[in-house]
Amino acid sequence: MPHQCVRCGKMYDDGAQEILKGCSCGAKMFYFIRPEKLKQIQEQQERAPLKEKEQVQIEKDVYDLIGDEIDKEKPVVLDIESIEILKPGKYKLDLVKLFKTKEPLIYKLEDGKYMVDLVESFKKMMGKKAE
Amino acid sequence: MGLFTNFLKKFLKKLFKKKREIRLGLYGPPNGGKTTLANKITLDWIGEEMGKVSTIAHETREIQIKEQITIKSKGKELTFNLVDTPGIATKIDYEDFIKAGLKEKEAKKRAKEATKGVIDAIKWLDDMDTVVVILDSTKDPYSQVNITIIGNLEARKIPVLIVANKIDLKKSDVKKVQAAFPQYDVIGISAKYGNHINNFYEALFKVTNA
Repeated sequence: MPHQCVRCGKMYDDGAQEILKGCSCGAKMFYFIRPEKLKQIQEQQERAPLKEKEQVQIEKDVYDLIGDEIDKEKPVVLDIESIEILKPGKYKLDLVKLFKTKEPLIYKLEDGKYMVDLVESFKKMMGKKAE
Repeated sequence: MGLFTNFLKKFLKKLFKKKREIRLGLYGPPNGGKTTLANKITLDWIGEEMGKVSTIAHETREIQIKEQITIKSKGKELTFNLVDTPGIATKIDYEDFIKAGLKEKEAKKRAKEATKGVIDAIKWLDDMDTVVVILDSTKDPYSQVNITIIGNLEARKIPVLIVANKIDLKKSDVKKVQAAFPQYDVIGISAKYGNHINNFYEALFKVTNA
């Protein structure tokens, strides 16, 4: 399953060393790309590639949205089926999925590598706030 | 013995129900008038407003709660905690906020907070005892947002009252909202001017079984 660096957009195959240690650009956050979405994402990248500044901003926004749930020093894989960040400030939400999500929040895949479900992280974060 | 157990069960249930606070949630798409209605309710019954309203969508980006509101009608009383929620949307785009007059940085921040707000609103849904869905009656009721919210409330068996707001506007069409959701009580009001607000309060008693 391919992974894409959130900051520089570089694609890595599952199990690549970079996913464990961080991308060559220095970022430690990756999108988890489902095979059925791969073509669509590649086409989008060719059609309207995001500027580096925008990618850095998205990376920052995601860290803002998931708060202190994750260790920034460790690689993180985002599974954002329910929320797509098209550009900084442009969000697409899949309400049906959002209402249905009952999965765990952060899946630890390997040492130092986590799978974060944005939606569930929000829930946990908000839950903590409410307490 | 069976009779006594039944009596005890009913008694305890009644006791428990009385002590428990009802959570009344205001849900709906952005700019339908959730906060305007929340303000109307709190002004009418506790004499103070609940939140800021704006013509720019996604003004409410965090859950707002006002506790212990008691409304009275025809000798009946109903006490609840009112929960005003951020508007639920499928697309949040900072460019819409720029068009509405915000600066880019502010618009992007608003978009990020509004996205969090949607998740927050959905997360809170399971904690609601009764939900009032506020729709703008000048707009098409058959939207994905409306249908998803109401469908999920139905699936969770949460009692629903639909408010067709903004009846003071020319384009308002309460009948269209009623036709879209025939299995629910739909009350046409103007939260801003208070038109038919007593019908709304009456309907609240009915939907909460008070």
